[in-house]
Amino acid sequence: MLILLMIEAMLADLGFESVTAAASVDQAVAVVQGQVFDAAILDVNLRGSNSRPVADALALRGVPFFFSTGNHGEHVMDGYDDRAVLRKPFKQDGLGAILTSLLR
Amino acid sequence: MTGKADKQRDAEAEVQSFKEKLGPFVVAAETTRMAMVFSDAKQAGNPIIFANDSFLSLTGYSRQEVLGRSFNFLMAHGADTDALALIEAELSGHSDKGSEILYRRKDGSEFWAAIFVSPVRDENGNVVQYFASFVDLTKHKDEQAQSRMLIDELNHRVKNTLATVQSIVWQALRTTSDRDVIRNSIESRLFALSRAHDLLTRENWESASLFDMVNDALEPFGVSDGRAERIVIRGENVRFPPQAALSLGVAFNELATNAVKYGAFSNETGSILIEWKIDRTGDGDRLILHWQEKDGPPVTLPSRTGFGSQVIERGLAHELQGTVRLDYRSAGLVCTMDIPAPGTASNG
Repeated sequence: MLILLMIEAMLADLGFESVTAAASVDQAVAVVQGQVFDAAILDVNLRGSNSRPVADALALRGVPFFFSTGNHGEHVMDGYDDRAVLRKPFKQDGLGAILTSLLR
Repeated sequence: MTGKADKQRDAEAEVQSFKEKLGPFVVAAETTRMAMVFSDAKQAGNPIIFANDSFLSLTGYSRQEVLGRSFNFLMAHGADTDALALIEAELSGHSDKGSEILYRRKDGSEFWAAIFVSPVRDENGNVVQYFASFVDLTKHKDEQAQSRMLIDELNHRVKNTLATVQSIVWQALRTTSDRDVIRNSIESRLFALSRAHDLLTRENWESASLFDMVNDALEPFGVSDGRAERIVIRGENVRFPPQAALSLGVAFNELATNAVKYGAFSNETGSILIEWKIDRTGDGDRLILHWQEKDGPPVTLPSRTGFGSQVIERGLAHELQGTVRLDYRSAGLVCTMDIPAPGTASNG
């Protein structure tokens, strides 16, 4: 959870003031369906479950998003190989670069 | 009667004569737990002319169903050119270490086997039969898959731990340039994280008891200079899963650090009561926990939300999917947690 606070602070530094966080797949899907977002960062693994349902919900609503993961492999999630991936731990610059290109 | 059936009978007769000549060796081949077949190298498709009991139980076929069938009939993907090439290499003696092939049993289930083939030659050196043994690799493959999963899980956890350490350092560097303050901040949080890991390791990373978590988090702050009697911890036996346990360890460390700097442990008389209960009245059990300080110095509202209070009110609440509130009451700080009771409660 300290990671989340750091990410929120990094995002605030980058100018993203309104950040909503969800800790589980169910919570994330509910949040995505309940509000309009400019972008999303999706951890491939949420509380032990694969976060594919969240990716599907984001794709359905056309929300630009990228993945965060600790894994090293090329393939992150079936059907979403075209999305950007940020590897944990990541640099603030990397976060900024990906968000900039997503929101261009 | 077809010519093929005649040849099959001739081949089986050869095996029968081997049996009569070689007695004990044949018994060994028949009864060994290593699955084995002989095939007729002089016929197209390498028909099987002998199959031992182990082979039959490995594949689920009866002897009649196997004798006369082509050597490759077992393959799960009979058109797989790579697999066929491997078997060709085995048959021509160009492979010395066996080949892994995916086979299919009579019931349709698939299994990996290592196949070792040796040619049987006559007096002129011509290959008359092939002798093949099969090693069932199912258990080996399962163990390999299990290892890969554990290593992936380990990598996942280590990356998360590194990112957590990054957060700790990052935060320490943000609020001050005083090197001692930075160092203490990093050390204190790192060691809290490390203690939480130790507790989980003692419990084989299954779960941790809330009592142990609170006790462990307070231990560096309480015991050394006789503060033990100034802490009371009370509540029924509740256990949390690993990720929640790590977050609680970090949060209790923040509360304790704050108590030492500004709260009930910053003077001689203050004390802390930590108690919890499970509220079973609503739909879904809730765990209600109070961290209650008293007899410390007069409490003043902090001028801005420090990182510690963010960790407690936002970070922990997010992690546990409940609400966490800090009340700066004049009698002493009170922290109230209202979260879903964890499913691993031993009396749940």
